[in-house]
Amino acid sequence: MMTMSIFIGVAVLLVLLLLLLTRSEDGEESASAEGADRIRRESRDTLQPWEIILRIFSREDREFILRMRSPRMLRIYQEERRRVALHWVRRTSCEVGEIMRTHRLASRQSENLDGAREAKLLFQYLRLQFVCGLLAFLIRMFGPHALSDLASYTGELYQRLGRALPDGGVASHLATTEDTATR
Amino acid sequence: MSDPGTIVTMNNAYDDLLRRTLASVQCDLARLIYLASTRDYNSGMYHHEGLCARYGAEQAREALQAAHREIFFRLVGLTLEELVEELEVYVRLSREAPTGFIHAWQELEPYRLAVPMEVDSTMVQLFLSNIRLALEILRFRQGQGQGRRSTSSLQPLLGR
Repeated sequence: MMTMSIFIGVAVLLVLLLLLLTRSEDGEESASAEGADRIRRESRDTLQPWEIILRIFSREDREFILRMRSPRMLRIYQEERRRVALHWVRRTSCEVGEIMRTHRLASRQSENLDGAREAKLLFQYLRLQFVCGLLAFLIRMFGPHALSDLASYTGELYQRLGRALPDGGVASHLATTEDTATR
Repeated sequence: MSDPGTIVTMNNAYDDLLRRTLASVQCDLARLIYLASTRDYNSGMYHHEGLCARYGAEQAREALQAAHREIFFRLVGLTLEELVEELEVYVRLSREAPTGFIHAWQELEPYRLAVPMEVDSTMVQLFLSNIRLALEILRFRQGQGQGRRSTSSLQPLLGR
């Protein structure tokens, strides 16, 4: 029971961290399938950052590759996507570092520094760097679809645990929860 | 601030480019390659004789650059499946043997030159990676097609 809770906790935490990273401050709309369609339809002079993320971690692309039933193609796909995903994480981390450096230099000359605001900014910076580091680690270790893979692995373990439990009541409760979750 | 007259001319040049030149090109990948070919490798400046004569060098350059960027963004926004279809159309248009085409593109990577200047580096990485994948998928399908053909040609022999 304890192991299961840890797995679920880790998966939920990771999903939240990814959401935190991809969410913009002004509550930009989430990356949805509708968004993906809009990319294709509209003429534009750029792509939004969330649209690029959507493309890198696209489930559609992965399913397309899986339909080929070729382990070699899947390996090539994962390697290519891993490379792009890591590039994006590293670049995000570098850009934020650069912004903070510029801010630090500017604030040295500032006479009316707001301590609370600076501390909040530093906290947000450290949080972002932590998420970037964690994402890079996960992508390197488990591939570009690390989060969804981990989440489905957790679901699988959860189900297995439900089946393996000798206590009928708890097992059926787990199975019911799993059914509700997958619906 | 930009002169409104200049913007109108640029829009005219852009519309002209879309209507006359690019509309006759059958797929976005071919349009991208075409637009990249109007750019000088050394200076990065775009040049198009017809547009230049009608709208002036600066407006023609801006129209070509804008169209190049727009088509690039469109291609980056495609799913892998759509990009493979796009590449298939382009291979057909090239009239080269698919095997030779794929081999040349994988060896020389000419599509690297088709990337516009000053675009987001992640977008560039994603585009290059997707083209590499699309080429690999076409090669895989080619192999499957050949395998199927050789199996079916063996059928009568096996039946004997």
